[in-house]
Amino acid sequence: MIAFFLIALLQLKVPDAQQIVGPPAARPLAGAELDKRTAEIAQLLRCPVCQGLAIGDSPSIMAMNMKEQVRELLARGYSQEQILKYFEQSYGQFVLLKPKFQGVNALVWILPLAALLLGLGLILMKMNKLERPPPAAAAPADDPYLARVRELVEK
Amino acid sequence: MNKTVLAVGIAITAALVAVFFLAMGKDPQHIDSPLIGRAAPAFTLRAVGGGQPISLEQLKGKPVVLNFWATWCVPCYQEHPVLVQNAQLLGDRVQFVGVVFNDTEDKIQAFLRERGEAYPTVIDDAGKTAIAYGVGGVPETFFLDPSGKIVAKYEGPMDAGTLQTYVAKAMQ
Repeated sequence: MIAFFLIALLQLKVPDAQQIVGPPAARPLAGAELDKRTAEIAQLLRCPVCQGLAIGDSPSIMAMNMKEQVRELLARGYSQEQILKYFEQSYGQFVLLKPKFQGVNALVWILPLAALLLGLGLILMKMNKLERPPPAAAAPADDPYLARVRELVEK
Repeated sequence: MNKTVLAVGIAITAALVAVFFLAMGKDPQHIDSPLIGRAAPAFTLRAVGGGQPISLEQLKGKPVVLNFWATWCVPCYQEHPVLVQNAQLLGDRVQFVGVVFNDTEDKIQAFLRERGEAYPTVIDDAGKTAIAYGVGGVPETFFLDPSGKIVAKYEGPMDAGTLQTYVAKAMQ
């Protein structure tokens, strides 16, 4: 009976990161460093059942499973880039809290910068206008009033 | 007011209104699965109640309905009779498989005894298979064609009509 269960246990297989992102590209982590890196990467992945929460901040079962998976992958020597790619393959870019600079997502990075530059441009234009002295009105040379004023000043 | 400033203001407001209008009515929890059209992640998991482990590989050749659920999931209670009835109705033409994660075997067996069982159920202990399938919450169901390719995903409890529509898609 025990042998049957052991054989059955050995046959079990869950989808593995190696099939998706290849062999580990970094060194295996352990101890305090493993805890630290797990917490850091858990802040980069979105909890799929929460509203905008990182898996590191969510108490949901799914988030805890994902965090445990991050920990296991780091312990096996997977790099941050590989781990993010592994989750992205299953959940899409939705799972990345920091969107990638590509496609429509690039607008998330470009638009605030464009708005800032536009605002700066408008401010500079306005400042330039305020600093420029108003053009002096050209007086006609034969103005009798001006001629009288000049005459009085020169006296 | 300066006409340029007014025009820029109107353009920005119109863009924001358009974004809000497009987002309205969409489920913020919905995740478009990048797995649609790709081969389903392979697994071999232990069956509830002992017996030989079940692998996805051995199910190739007929459409598969892969239902992720758990006994702690309230909507799963609503969906279970729909799955059981349709599994019985479709018989050998479609293979149904239940995948349970973060649960105990005792609770799963009690649930199945009480509410009926018409297809195998496997246990995904640490939820790794659920993660590989991009499961957000339960219930969530994947429909695989006979070659093992994912053709559709449904989030939430299904009624009979929804289930049959997706099964038909997997059978094409």
